[in-house]
Amino acid sequence: MTDDEILTVSRADTTGSVPVLAAVGEIDHDSRDILREAADLALRDGGSRLVIDLGDVSFCDSGGLGLFLELHRLTTARGGALRLARVPPPVQLVLGATNLDRLLHLEPTVEDAVRAFR
Amino acid sequence: MDTVVDVGWCQALRTLLDRAHLVTPSGLAALVAEAAGPLGLRPTIWLIDYEQTSLHAMPVAGRETPGPIPVDGSLPGRAFASVVSLYVGGSGTQAGRWWVPVVNGTERFGLIEFTPVDGTDGQGRDFVTRCELLAGLVGHLLGTIMTGGDGIEQLRRTRPMSVAAELLWRQLPPLTSSTEAAVVTAILQPCYDVGGDGFDYVLENTGACLLVLDAMGRGLGAGLACAVALAAIRATRRAGRGLYDQARAADAALLDQFQDARFATAVLAELDLETGRLRYVNAGHPAPLLLRGGRLVRQLSDGRRMPLGVDDPSVEVAEESLEPGDRLLLYTDGVTEARADGGERFGVDRLVDLTERHAGSGLPAPETLRRLAHTVTAHQGGPPADDATLMLVEWSATASHRTVPGARQVIRDDEGRS
Repeated sequence: MTDDEILTVSRADTTGSVPVLAAVGEIDHDSRDILREAADLALRDGGSRLVIDLGDVSFCDSGGLGLFLELHRLTTARGGALRLARVPPPVQLVLGATNLDRLLHLEPTVEDAVRAFR
Repeated sequence: MDTVVDVGWCQALRTLLDRAHLVTPSGLAALVAEAAGPLGLRPTIWLIDYEQTSLHAMPVAGRETPGPIPVDGSLPGRAFASVVSLYVGGSGTQAGRWWVPVVNGTERFGLIEFTPVDGTDGQGRDFVTRCELLAGLVGHLLGTIMTGGDGIEQLRRTRPMSVAAELLWRQLPPLTSSTEAAVVTAILQPCYDVGGDGFDYVLENTGACLLVLDAMGRGLGAGLACAVALAAIRATRRAGRGLYDQARAADAALLDQFQDARFATAVLAELDLETGRLRYVNAGHPAPLLLRGGRLVRQLSDGRRMPLGVDDPSVEVAEESLEPGDRLLLYTDGVTEARADGGERFGVDRLVDLTERHAGSGLPAPETLRRLAHTVTAHQGGPPADDATLMLVEWSATASHRTVPGARQVIRDDEGRS
């Protein structure tokens, strides 16, 4: 990640069955399209399962929460789910403050998140 | 009382009322001047700008328009802030004059500066009482006619408004309303660029309904979501349905209207002004603060559900008991999350401390919020990162009367240091 990129997203699949996106940096109204594009690509051809590894995310605002909600709705509508792995304290804080931790699936590790799909 | 003088004042009121049917917003200042002329008075109407920083004189044809006066640090500003008429003594060639608050209900619009001319004696208590009568009528007239033209809106703006802010301001109730029992007041910043924040309230004799909203996102998208949620809640409330149904109506409207998971955090509350019972729902929003006797009693952190726009049937309406004299402060996270250059957040502690200090020193509720909002802006030292909204409810007849002009002693400053 260079200094002028506040968010980078890369594929970090652990098995062939579930796409895993590793996000590094800050997710806000300006940067969330980077994550959205990566998610769209991972879910193309009707994909219904997605794991996002948030372990290296230092900040997330309501723009990020809105995107999680969109991806949750999309995957759920297709019979699958979105699972957020390694959610760091600053992101847990906003998920808790908005009560969205009641809706979104949070998993301690990427392995747990992938395993939860089986 | 001098009967001849009173007939003159009645005639002035009659001129105003008769002519008001056909007056335009920009023409009001000239009409007031014409009506008050025979009384030996030269009135100038001053209106507060949207940011509540300065007072701006309404132009009158054939007269020079004075420049703006800051609220902070000026004598007229003191009259505006305290909602009390203030006499400023003459000095040199300048005559003494009265600065009289202009409100609509209890929403502060500005002041009228009454300068006695032609040897008129403007010193007495009777005199200012009559000025207050005239200013009272002008306040109501302003409220009635001001949206019929753009003159007053333009005078109150120091720069253009964004589309989102234009949309949002038209959805809002007056910034302040009072009854015998309580006062509700709110403030919204940044006033020319506000997007996702909004508020609503109604104040009846027996109770108040309160709403503070923060729609996700920025700009017009957020403003639209906020307006949709606000209208859904208002329509449901006016249909006589309760907090749970109001929140569910906002869910349905947001889900129906937007494809992209737009949501709004919000607090919806009902306060019974006879028993003090507060019922509330918190849709993922910062907890309201209950203040009593200069300190925080508690953060009202129950009644939680997910944000409006996320289908959440699970909520239970929470309850709390207020005591007479209590203050309730609702806010959006743009207030407490406002960061100084060094990264320090404004925070809840500072918010509680300043609210209690201002309100406890006898400031009218809208002035407490004006100062708070400006302190939050100053804390950031630059353009705000987020909208910041504050709503203060004071359940107190004393606090309510502080918002009414003429309800207290006038202030005199005979030194004339204007």
